[in-house]
Amino acid sequence: MAEKKSLWQALAGIDRRIVYLTLLVVLVVPLILSLGLSVKPMKDVSQRVRQVFEQVDSLQYSGMPLMISVDFDPASKGELQPMLYALLRHAAARNVPVLVLGLWPNGVGLAKTALEDVGREYGRQNGVDWVFLGYKAGIDAVILGMGENIARVFPSDAMGSRLDQHPLMQRVRRLADVGFVVSLSAGTPGYLDWLLYAQSRYRVRMATGTTAVQAADAYPYVGTGQLRGIVAGMKGAAEYEILNQQAGFRQASTPAIDAMDAQSFAQFAIVLLVVIGNVGFFVAGRRRK
Amino acid sequence: MQRSVPLTICLVMGIVMMVQFFSPHPFSRGLLETVNTWVRLISGFALALGAGSLILHHTTKIRRKQPGWGYSIVTLSALAATAAIGWAAGPTMMDNKQLLINVIYSNIQVPLGASMFSILAFYIASASYRAFRARNKEATILLLAAFLVMLGTVPLGKVVWDGFPKWSRYLLEIPNLAAKRGIIFGVALGTIATSLKIILGIERGWLGGGK
Amino acid sequence: MQLSSSLWVWVGAILTFGIFSFLLKDNPFYKFCEHLFVGVSLGYTMTIVTWSTLWPDLFKRLFASPTSEVSIGAKLLLLVPLALGILYFFAFVPKVSWLMRIPMSFVLGWSAGVIIPSIIQTSVLTQAQYTVLKPGWMLQDLPRQMGEAWNHLAHVKGFNSVSDALLSFLWAIGPPTVFIGAVAAVIYFFFSREQKGLLKPVSGTGIIFLMVGFGASFGYTVMARMSLLIDRLQFLLRDWLGVIR
Repeated sequence: MAEKKSLWQALAGIDRRIVYLTLLVVLVVPLILSLGLSVKPMKDVSQRVRQVFEQVDSLQYSGMPLMISVDFDPASKGELQPMLYALLRHAAARNVPVLVLGLWPNGVGLAKTALEDVGREYGRQNGVDWVFLGYKAGIDAVILGMGENIARVFPSDAMGSRLDQHPLMQRVRRLADVGFVVSLSAGTPGYLDWLLYAQSRYRVRMATGTTAVQAADAYPYVGTGQLRGIVAGMKGAAEYEILNQQAGFRQASTPAIDAMDAQSFAQFAIVLLVVIGNVGFFVAGRRRK
Repeated sequence: MQRSVPLTICLVMGIVMMVQFFSPHPFSRGLLETVNTWVRLISGFALALGAGSLILHHTTKIRRKQPGWGYSIVTLSALAATAAIGWAAGPTMMDNKQLLINVIYSNIQVPLGASMFSILAFYIASASYRAFRARNKEATILLLAAFLVMLGTVPLGKVVWDGFPKWSRYLLEIPNLAAKRGIIFGVALGTIATSLKIILGIERGWLGGGK
Repeated sequence: MQLSSSLWVWVGAILTFGIFSFLLKDNPFYKFCEHLFVGVSLGYTMTIVTWSTLWPDLFKRLFASPTSEVSIGAKLLLLVPLALGILYFFAFVPKVSWLMRIPMSFVLGWSAGVIIPSIIQTSVLTQAQYTVLKPGWMLQDLPRQMGEAWNHLAHVKGFNSVSDALLSFLWAIGPPTVFIGAVAAVIYFFFSREQKGLLKPVSGTGIIFLMVGFGASFGYTVMARMSLLIDRLQFLLRDWLGVIR
């Protein structure tokens, strides 16, 4: 006859399907109810996200363009796509020209969609307000090449038009002519490649928007000023959207802010599950002794 | 010759690129531009190698009727169809969202890619619950740090206790920074050592087997 | 609730459920979606690489008309990467597969050469500079920071202010904490010598810092995974079912 499980053993051994279902409920309910509980606590945006925002904002005075490197693919779009939209909207609202490229071949499609969407929202013009360089194979060779001459690396933009035909590119010849670089990074290649080759050799001012997985690893570079801020994960994207809201910029959607309630409840649920698992494990273990 | 030629090329390229870093001379910068162009183009061909390996693997599976060979047909058909559609679209394929290649990207690749990684959320929940035990001092520290960061990073953590985001920020900017900096030093020194070994031909694993 | 009328949204939703079906168990529907993903992904990558790099930078320039801006010299130079790239394909011919080592050695030598000075600059010198110098800079500001911390401690009322007081003290001694932590973490990974004597407590301190670092990474990783799932759920609830705006 099977030994009857004690309550504590049961607590430490909940079926995985119940865990999955709990997680699903905890995520779906706040998304549907759209309570907006997270908006007020986020008004105090973190210093590191604010740093990035202020750097991009300052470009309106210098007239130098913002360069965004879309270093992610659809697997990380949940975290980084909202950041991309928020950055593009910020640049559009401040009339800052934008250069967009990608070091991941499967990410440029997402970049193009975002450029077109924000371009329509703000009436921005290809060649004047933005240039989409697209993807180029070679990763570090691309960055190093742009440090010397962007047109040598990208003789034409992603749509096939010659780069020298774009008014914006008349005054942007190399990385030193770019005001600020933001690498939206999901792994390798990513912000580290930009740090190694663009920041160290060509003294490019840069920041990164990373997936939360990588965020903790980027802090040493933020501490030295090599990265001028970091936008970490979906929470970082939500904070950037909040800053855009506070500045009065038009935003067709704020997917990251909308997700914060679900994110919060999920985190609490995971913490609770881990605590329950530990309590069950230790009490059951002690009783067995 | 089969090993000495590649090792010599590796040695020459390594030394040239290291020296180039320190030279602002126009010849040096011109050399950098040319070599970078070549590396970009060679990288493009390297993809063909990866594709070829995948095609070989799946065709072998089909030929030998190994378990799951039917799915290999799916992979090869999808690969052939997508590549053919994309190549037919031409160099300006990014310009038109309505092109079939872009429709396939947005409606097949993006949902599949995003979903693949999203199921990890369920696994991390289940694995955390099952395996994350405070068995000793180190595991307890890890657990506490994780809790503080998890609760401090989300907006509702601040609602529960004002201290969560403050402690989370401290943990990230001081002890986490210190630990990661130590790891960065170690990784950097390891990378330098490995790169030097590759350049000097001490590390030859990349040559593969054979003569 | 308003179900989507777009065929492609339905395709996306069905494929999403195909991947999610793996949560119950491995099944043919999931396997089909997985293999479809691999094929489509690689096919798309091949297309992008062709039209973004190989065609405009190599073949188009190589076959450009004699009257174009591409000189004979430039065309001849392009034969080098073309030849090296073609050598990759010899990997599939067993008798001469060693030829593949030539382009590999070119790229490997190049990348090993460029990374050494860059990583010394980025990850060694700058990081070391800030680790060592910041505690020194901190000394100038130390009296003010310690004064602030003491103020908090002296006016402690309740748990929140204990926490704030402790935090402000910890921030005040932040730079030397980072110095100690970074050095201790590096020493922890020093396995060439037995960790005894003075090395043992330093290494022990290193482990504590490393555990905090890994805990922070884990916390962030959980958030990352949840975010990806939330994105998919937003697609299903908004675009497919029309339940949310």
